[in-house]
Amino acid sequence: MKIELSLFGCFGDFEPGARLELEVPGEPCIGDVRAAVDAHGRAHWAGFKPNVLAVSAIGTEDSLLRDPAKVPAHGRLALLPPVNGG
Amino acid sequence: MNAQAFEVQVHAVEARRLDPAAALEFVSAPEFGGLNMFVGRVRDHSGGRAVQGVSYQIFDPLALRVFERACAEAMAEFGPRLRAHVSHAKGRLGIGDLAVVVAVGTPHRDEAFRACRKVIEIVKHQSPIWKQEHFVDGDSEWSEGCSLCGSEPAFEPAGETAQPSAAAPSASTPHVHGPGCSHDHAQAHADGERHRA
Repeated sequence: MKIELSLFGCFGDFEPGARLELEVPGEPCIGDVRAAVDAHGRAHWAGFKPNVLAVSAIGTEDSLLRDPAKVPAHGRLALLPPVNGG
Repeated sequence: MNAQAFEVQVHAVEARRLDPAAALEFVSAPEFGGLNMFVGRVRDHSGGRAVQGVSYQIFDPLALRVFERACAEAMAEFGPRLRAHVSHAKGRLGIGDLAVVVAVGTPHRDEAFRACRKVIEIVKHQSPIWKQEHFVDGDSEWSEGCSLCGSEPAFEPAGETAQPSAAAPSASTPHVHGPGCSHDHAQAHADGERHRA
């Protein structure tokens, strides 16, 4: 399944346009996507911090999704590191 | 949700600046004797370093949902007679520029103060907003913050698609802090939050 990830905060600096496409086998859950991002980050992102990914949320425009949840059929997700508004 | 009672906005700074006067106007009503407003501005220092500006990035659709929920939770706790406004800037701001405005109108001052505090804390800790500080020495850094992972409501077992999670944490949901929260933990604990060691 093709996953289209919008990257926010510190993750946005790692990819042009702050977007990442990943191919994740089968009908993945959010945890599978997190693992795929971890592998991609370790291989391609200089300065990647796995501990930040571990506390980052993954969601859609409507809601956040926990790791056991299946990826929505549209495959469009957002990677959301710890927040700091206001 | 009472759409007429809430106004939530994200403003790209190049198009529109935040407007505290308009926020107060929105939350005003003849029966409201208490108006309270929080205005967040960009300060000139962070962690002992001189700052020349800040860039805010926002995941707009989800942030607006969190803003609405913050207002709804404030109404549930301090209303029903309550009006609330939330607006947040995105883009590059200079020192003194307005980053966030929260305004609340209620019949009396106590609920106005408390509702305003409740809303701004949710905006700061649970909204998908990121801050990159630009230092005078030319360096820039993303500020560490609060993880959205732990503020999770009731969770259905795996096997169904797209179970909503932390985007809709409720008032009773504990907030889990990330690796570098910079906010007032004493207040956070007073508000019943928990801290990730």
